[in-house]
Amino acid sequence: MFKELDPILHSQLRLAVVSLLIGVKEAEFTFIREKTNATAGNLSVQVQKLKDAGYIEVTKQFKDNYPQTTCKITPKGIEAFEAYVQALQQYLKVGG
Amino acid sequence: MPEQTQENKEGTDFSPEESLQLIQSMITKTKDAVAVDSFYFLFWGWLVFACCVVEYALMVWFEYPHHNFVWWSMPLGGIISGTYSARQARRKTAMTYIEEALSFLWIAIGISFFVMVFINVVSDAWKTAFTYYILMYAIGTFVSGKLIRFKPLIIGGILNFILAAVSIKFNFANQLLIGALAILISYIIPGHLLRIRHHSKKQ
Repeated sequence: MFKELDPILHSQLRLAVVSLLIGVKEAEFTFIREKTNATAGNLSVQVQKLKDAGYIEVTKQFKDNYPQTTCKITPKGIEAFEAYVQALQQYLKVGG
Repeated sequence: MPEQTQENKEGTDFSPEESLQLIQSMITKTKDAVAVDSFYFLFWGWLVFACCVVEYALMVWFEYPHHNFVWWSMPLGGIISGTYSARQARRKTAMTYIEEALSFLWIAIGISFFVMVFINVVSDAWKTAFTYYILMYAIGTFVSGKLIRFKPLIIGGILNFILAAVSIKFNFANQLLIGALAILISYIIPGHLLRIRHHSKKQ
């Protein structure tokens, strides 16, 4: 039924991550984990998938001797998100 | 417990309505992440206010010749404010576009103050310095107020545009009092109101 919806984005956690990153310039892994209530393991896997798709950019660095992962949406990610929302709207129009 | 299939684990089984709800709830969460710290308004507000009033008293009532020494507290304020902001940056886990715009705005205003101090030292522009300082407060608070949609800052900014124009007609001593009034309505009052708003949101 949802054939046209981007399979990368049509996953609750990945969609949540991208929706969060749409609203901010950049966010740390801990921020995303806190807002999505996801487990670190599952979030890592989904973040990696989004990164592999080129939708987000992931930077790893050290802050006060602690490893820190920062995520940022890419122009390709923004485009995919917009296309996804447009597809959703079409479904809702047909359904409603 | 039965093992979750890869499909379920990824949570791909949900309707377009649920999708939209999820997007909306995440966007709302990033909105909450914009926390404008009233510390800077209150810290700089009270510091500058005290300097204006003390300098006025030293100059007019005590006729003390080195009345402008009070402004040496500004570099000290810069160190305190800078240390505080470095500590806050370490705790911060996300940066919104509004926060970024606000930080660049205040960095630009901070640099402008340095440039104006230099101009005041090498010329006699200090006689009308407060006109330009008040103009800077006006820009900073008006733009900040618009960005975070906080009326007291917007009103404070607008009133400061007017005070800047009025102040040029007064001598330096009276400009100090106008400066104190300007900082009271653009930093101190909105700063306290921002603090109240922040605390009431938390509860």
